[in-house]
Amino acid sequence: MSYFRITLHRSAIGLPQRTRGVLAALGLRKRSQTVFHPVSAQAAGMILKVKELVKVSEVDRALTPKEMREERKPEPGFWIEKAVPRREVQELQVIVL
Amino acid sequence: MFGAFRVTSPLCGGLLWKTPWRLSRFQKARQRKRLRGVDSVVEILGNALAKKGETLKALETWKETMPTEAEMLPKDKYTMFDRKEKRYRKGIHKLPKWTRVSQRVNPPGY
Repeated sequence: MSYFRITLHRSAIGLPQRTRGVLAALGLRKRSQTVFHPVSAQAAGMILKVKELVKVSEVDRALTPKEMREERKPEPGFWIEKAVPRREVQELQVIVL
Repeated sequence: MFGAFRVTSPLCGGLLWKTPWRLSRFQKARQRKRLRGVDSVVEILGNALAKKGETLKALETWKETMPTEAEMLPKDKYTMFDRKEKRYRKGIHKLPKWTRVSQRVNPPGY
């Protein structure tokens, strides 16, 4: 099952109520918000009404909010090549005492 | 003649906003980009529906009647018909909300 991935690119401020209603029906409230809708003629018709305002792509599955967040996350700037076991501090203290 | 008290139209008459009569080349470039964006959305919708074997009348009508960015004449990309203008053409940027509405076809012969 494939989905439309729809991102609101341009704001609908000052556009007719019908256009804004279509955005509300798609579930788009603010710019750069992304929603997923299953591919259907109904969804396509709604996108066609607001085609000047959105960016659309066809994807295989809908991403979860968590995955969307991961997508937006910048690179950490460091990468762990090999994990080293932690030193056990408490044991060391016992030996010293 | 010069300086802060020179006689110019904005200083004499108060509020005066001027809109250039034509688009700059950067505005034209962005206009083409927007046209291509709409074309790509229409294409993606058509491909996705074709894969499912569905059709959409509004989409068919758009594809039949509206030229794509590559098919459009420069005249139609940057200007539009207006019966009140000299030579019946005005810059497309005179259209309210022109960056967010589609205006592609004009009356034949104009």
